[in-house]
Amino acid sequence: MDKSILILDKGTRCTAWNYSGQRLVAGLDDGTVVIYDSTDPASSTFISTSRFKARESSITKVVWVPPEYGDAVACISDDGKLSLWEEVTEDTEEHHWKMRKCFDGITSQVLDVQFGDGQTCLKLVAACSDGQVKIYELLDTLELEKWQLQAEFQNVIDLVSKFGNATCVSATISWNPQRSEGRQSSFVLGYSSNTPALNSPKVWEFDLDHQRWLPVAELSLPDDQVDEVYAVSWAPNIGRPYELIAVATQQGISIWHLGSNPEPDGRLSTQNVAMLSSHDSEVWEMEWDMSGMTLATTGSDCVVRLWQSNLNGVWHEQAVLAPAG
Amino acid sequence: MPGMTSDSGEFNSLSIVPHSVETQTPRVYPLRTRRVAAPFPRLSITWARGNTLRVSLLQPGSEQNPGGEVVEVKLSNADGAEIADAQWRRIAYGSVHPYALLQSRKNSVDAYHGDKDWWEHVMEYSKEINSLLGDSKSSVTPTIEDPKTVLNIVEEPTSLKAAWELMELFYADKQSWTWIPERLLDWLADFDCLFSATQSTVHARLVVFQKELVTIQTVENVPDYWEVISSALAVGWLDVVVKLLRLHGSYQLDQLGSRELENGLVEAVAVLISQMPRLRPDLPEENLGECYNTKPEFMKAWEKWRAQITKLDCSSYWLQCDHQQTRVGLKNMLQIMLGNANTLSNVTYHWIELYISHFLYIRPFTTGLESMFTLAQKCMHLKPISNHHKLMGLLVGILEENTEVILAECSRSFGPWMITHAIELLTAGSTQAEILLHDEQSKLGGICIEELHRLIYAQILSSHALTWNIAPIYLTSCSKQGLGLLENLLYKQPVHHHQVLLKSIEICRLNGLDYVGHDIMKIAGVHYWKHGKKGSAVFWLQQAQDEVRLNRIAKHLFDFVGKSVSDESFKQWEGMIELLGTESKTAGGLEFLKKYRDFRRSLQQVQEGTTIDEARKAAEALVSLMRNPSTPQQFWLHIIHDSLKLLNWKECPLLNVSQTNLLLNKLQELSFARLLPGFVDADFPPEALKCVRLALATNLGRSILDE
Repeated sequence: MDKSILILDKGTRCTAWNYSGQRLVAGLDDGTVVIYDSTDPASSTFISTSRFKARESSITKVVWVPPEYGDAVACISDDGKLSLWEEVTEDTEEHHWKMRKCFDGITSQVLDVQFGDGQTCLKLVAACSDGQVKIYELLDTLELEKWQLQAEFQNVIDLVSKFGNATCVSATISWNPQRSEGRQSSFVLGYSSNTPALNSPKVWEFDLDHQRWLPVAELSLPDDQVDEVYAVSWAPNIGRPYELIAVATQQGISIWHLGSNPEPDGRLSTQNVAMLSSHDSEVWEMEWDMSGMTLATTGSDCVVRLWQSNLNGVWHEQAVLAPAG
Repeated sequence: MPGMTSDSGEFNSLSIVPHSVETQTPRVYPLRTRRVAAPFPRLSITWARGNTLRVSLLQPGSEQNPGGEVVEVKLSNADGAEIADAQWRRIAYGSVHPYALLQSRKNSVDAYHGDKDWWEHVMEYSKEINSLLGDSKSSVTPTIEDPKTVLNIVEEPTSLKAAWELMELFYADKQSWTWIPERLLDWLADFDCLFSATQSTVHARLVVFQKELVTIQTVENVPDYWEVISSALAVGWLDVVVKLLRLHGSYQLDQLGSRELENGLVEAVAVLISQMPRLRPDLPEENLGECYNTKPEFMKAWEKWRAQITKLDCSSYWLQCDHQQTRVGLKNMLQIMLGNANTLSNVTYHWIELYISHFLYIRPFTTGLESMFTLAQKCMHLKPISNHHKLMGLLVGILEENTEVILAECSRSFGPWMITHAIELLTAGSTQAEILLHDEQSKLGGICIEELHRLIYAQILSSHALTWNIAPIYLTSCSKQGLGLLENLLYKQPVHHHQVLLKSIEICRLNGLDYVGHDIMKIAGVHYWKHGKKGSAVFWLQQAQDEVRLNRIAKHLFDFVGKSVSDESFKQWEGMIELLGTESKTAGGLEFLKKYRDFRRSLQQVQEGTTIDEARKAAEALVSLMRNPSTPQQFWLHIIHDSLKLLNWKECPLLNVSQTNLLLNKLQELSFARLLPGFVDADFPPEALKCVRLALATNLGRSILDE
């Protein structure tokens, strides 16, 4: 059943739903951010409830902060600036949106940002146009103003090599959605840049003993020259003995199994279980459903594709949703 | 789009259930928009709860058009889209209890050793589920009141019910095994109408004939009459046949005299039909035939009955019957009863009707699925059909004992609700199916097929705000991944809605997911805190035992209380402090606030000028407050200054030497701390400090003298 639930404001560039699917944030061409809300949990009628001007230039990406830290969104604008806005109600006023933090310390352009590890300490990964990955940590659980740069590195397996003059067009980050406290926080990150070594998606894990981030796996085949990584998506794991990550590159969508236990060299075993051709050229977004069984993708052919593994473990395209008309 | 078949219609057939077969090209489903039109430069996707996908279709800016539209797509309905939403929810809710009861019986060892066989429990379950799927009144029950009404047209049953009854009779009902052909006959009587939509059936013919009947004067002259009668006889609807026969013109009083012989033949056939031996324990009241429980008895009666038919068939009366249509028609009926295969084939339409007629008149002793399947194949060969009804796929799967086909048909044609619930029947009735369904498969991430289907069904339940709360029942019956999915489901609940929050916490509590419950309460607490509902925030954070945030809030309160300590505005925090103190296991800082509140109260009483006992009590509170390591530094001076009255108590010193020393030490500590970075200045006037020092010194002197 398909049903139209919301009409977006003129000039909408990007949208994001919050954790419960009850609020939508939209970033507009003129730097405005619009919030749409549903009135009660059973209804699927949404109305615009707030709007505020976040930047002077167009908003290209909006990301919700995990709900344990309030109702807040991070906005990336056309000029690569990252800012953090929060909805608050002070004293007797109506609720309103307040800028909590502008990450002016990042001199290069921010291409993608994702929040993770909400259980212990909120972390923010920002992938920048110079190939640097910056990880910030929230210092105070109730205040979104105070962030500390925890780490900064390039997306390379060999930690010694440095690529000084990398130019990146886009980046994609996906945190391991696992919430249990015992796990180390980890995410996967890939680039589209002129430096192949930076591009291939790598899985980064925080090493508690040495208090640093380590690349624990690389999701590309040995003789594969990864030109551009369009999107990565880490599937929710509801009990599988391995992790599941989807990677979209120029060659298509590949599905990877990632082992849970490290090998003697500290790396996690990887296995490419499917290579799916799709979307003619660029893949825009990939999203796993809540069970991690179905992958939805969109791309430059302007359709939504649904992918699934059948009972024999073979991945295939299950359906295509195409805008009518 | 090349290589893709386009679909005009609904998402009903869009299945997100994995099958083992099919790797055909994916189907294309249209996303219909209201206000915007393609092309869209950008699509954005998000999964909402369950298997709901939301697609943002963004369009380039122009003056007239909006910026885009969000379309919500629910992927595959639970019921295969035959049933209206509200009715389907009624079924979904109704099936929870029998399902849960069966699961709990399965888990208790007694079920296997109790006085009931396992299949009896399954039967109980099956009956309850079946009753949810609609009224089981047979559509071919004749009504007696109106002689011209041979068929009672009731509301059309659903294929879902038909499928459920098939599963029940083949897998759950062990008692029906000896008379399965008769069970199939009953089944067809109830559901033959379902096949009428796509092709001609006996039921459809009867319906049409019944409409004509009102206008017909002498039925026996109409060829349709005899055709319909033969068809109904072939599929065993004996009561309909007898009723139709009695409409024969020879029964009319004015004709009885002239058509006595003809009437005798009609009646003889009618009597023979109503005496037909049936291999079944009993018959519904309105149905005809004589029941025999055991094979030998039945065989004896059957042979006797057939002999009577043969005798009638060979009788010389036929030659004297003048009415040709009656003679031919009745003779044809005798051929049916004698099991003439050609005649049976001529009077039936659908292969399943032919199949039933074979059971009735040619092979009444057919047992065992293998021979039943062979016969079905033969009938399908004789009556090929172009348009396969989904029930046929299921029936063939059952007959050929192919569990994979049954599963595929169940899930594809009847939806996840059906397969999740029917698996219970399947595993109870077939060892092969049980092995297949319970075998853990590494390709599925270590779960078995049974669990996979439960997960999928639960995910569909989760898609809707009115059904998500029954999903946990199904998830908890999934041993491997159920709780994982339940966690994800709970994390997606909009917890700032109070009812949803309470329900989620309840589900967490029932399923031992306390840590998830805590996270949910944490989310709620933070939401309230940020939105100015500070009391609710503290309450939920306390419930969540979130010490980090509570300490943080306590610090916030100190800052506030600290600034206005002598102020009346402290009162406005009293309620909150009261709330903070109700839980025994609160963070240290909050505990201080409660003690501080108590101290201020006792101080207030002292100011009202009462007894020394009260003053002593206040002094004790003061000392305990100052001893408490969680009392923040910034409060020390304020507390002592507030207690000047106690220190300067006229009658006697209220503090002894060591207690006074404690306070002096605190003062000293404070002056050292002033030098350290991060010191919070209490904003205290120097004169007040002097007063404090003086009071303490005086008190020390007095207490030394005292001791």
